[in-house]
Order: sequence, then C-alpha cells, then structure tokens
Amino acid sequence: MIEAIPHTLSTQGWWIVSRSSAMVAFVLVTTSVFLGLTMAGKPVRDPRFAKALRALHEQTALAALVAIGVHIVAVLADPWLKPGVAGVAVPFVLDLNRFWNGIGVIAAYLAFLLGLSFYLRRHIGARRWRQAHRATIAVYVLGLFHALGAGSDTGSLLFLAFAGLTALPIAILFVYRLGAARRREERRRLASRRPLPDVV
Amino acid sequence: MTTPRPRAVVIGSLVLFAVIFAVLTFELSASASTSAGKTQAARKARPAPTETKTDAAEPEEPAPESVEPEYEYVEPEPEPEVEYVEPEVEEVPPVVTSSS
Repeated sequence: MIEAIPHTLSTQGWWIVSRSSAMVAFVLVTTSVFLGLTMAGKPVRDPRFAKALRALHEQTALAALVAIGVHIVAVLADPWLKPGVAGVAVPFVLDLNRFWNGIGVIAAYLAFLLGLSFYLRRHIGARRWRQAHRATIAVYVLGLFHALGAGSDTGSLLFLAFAGLTALPIAILFVYRLGAARRREERRRLASRRPLPDVV
Repeated sequence: MTTPRPRAVVIGSLVLFAVIFAVLTFELSASASTSAGKTQAARKARPAPTETKTDAAEPEEPAPESVEPEYEYVEPEPEPEVEYVEPEVEEVPPVVTSSS
C-alpha cells in the first residue's frame, strides 16, 4: 500500500486537496455560522465573552474563505475534471453534477461578498450591512446542499454525523433568531404608535 | 475570558486539513493496491463521467492479445477452360508434276 502512495498523489493529488479543503471549509463555515447565530441570541451578557465569541466568529469566517479559495484552485487544477475557469466561476456551467456544483459556485460568491462586507460596513452603513449579513445562513445551506449533492464523501459516516449534528442546532438557533427579530420589530412598532406624553 | 488568537484557528484548520488529506491518501492507496479495490474506488470516487473519462486511468485488465483476423477459405473458382480449336488448315491440292 505504501508503494501506491506516490502514484495516488501524482494522479489524484489535486482531487484529494479539493476534498480535504472542502471538508475544512465546511467545518469552518458551520462553526462560524453557529457562533454568529449564538452571538445574535446574546446568551451571556459578559462583554469579554461576547468579544471572544466575535473574534472566534471572524477568525473562523476568514479561515473558511481561505479554505474555499484552496478548494476552488484545487478543482481548477484537477487534471481529471478539467473544469476550466468558466466551470468554477460561472454557476451551472460545469458538466459534472451541474445543479449541485452550480449551487456551490453561488455559495462561494455569497461567502466572499458577505464575509468581506464586514470590512466595508463603514461605507455601506451598519444597518444595511447587518441586514445583508443575515443572509450568511444561505452560504451554510447552499454549501451543505452542494456537499450532499456533489461531494465525493457524501456517504462518509463521519461527514453525515457532523452535518446532521450541526444542522439541527443551527436550524434551532436560526428559527429562534428570526422569532427574536420579529418580536423586536413588533416592540419598536408599538413604541412608535404610543402617544407621546403631554409636555406642559 | 481571553480573546482567542488567530493562530489557534489557523493551526487547527491546517491540522484538520493534514489529517483529512492523509486519511484520503491512505484510503485511495489501499484501494488502488488491489485490482478489485481499484475498480471499486474509481467507481465510488468519480461516479458520473468515469466511463467517459478513463483515458488517463490505468487499464483495469490487461489488454487483449492481438488476434489475427480469421479469413474464410474460399476455393478459387477454376478458370474457364479454353477450348482448343485446331486451326483449320486449308487443303492444298497436291501439285502433280508430269515428268514426261
């Protein structure tokens, strides 16, 4: 088996890199989204804890972008797949698993746009940035479907266990966050309707 | 609580990448070392266009030996016999010479 390793690496090295980086990216995106949703729910009022969570959220998001970049380069370099620049840059162009890979391309664009928009929030405005940032859950959902539909390791028990165990709390946190945002909006509307006290 | 350093996330990601890379490499090498496993691994790994994109892969079975094409023996038809026709010889009357 050891003798076969150089041959495996020379013929399937890029494919192994693309699979490994995809799994790392998925773990990091999942962690970042989980931390982001947890922060939004404000579970602990301690500002030091909130600061630590925010730092970890940002670091995992940036590391995920790097892993997604490595995944794209490895797919592009795969001599078997030969996707071409259009195959990795334009959704639904790659022949292999056209739909699921197209979803993956969209997820990558969203990840870069929404992730890096954090550093442009002064220009686009904090409120607008926050509204756009809520769409980051789409990166996770599209990434999950891309992995399930086009991934070579979809049948792996470890992957399925990780995806299943993390999808449930993320879904619960997301529903909770939606509910909290709706309640907050309602409170704001009620407060604006309330008549102002007479000033004498 | 101290703020986590970016180095921890970077090292953690690299370690995870290295572990997955090593596991996948060993798994594929183990499958490739047996011919049956090789076929199974190739099918499992690259399902859809494997059948059409096998030009880069090693052949699974040895190429069949070149077989001389069999020719059916057809007996050549005999050439039509040319009938020998004896040339007609004009009869010349014998010349009689008188010797008187």
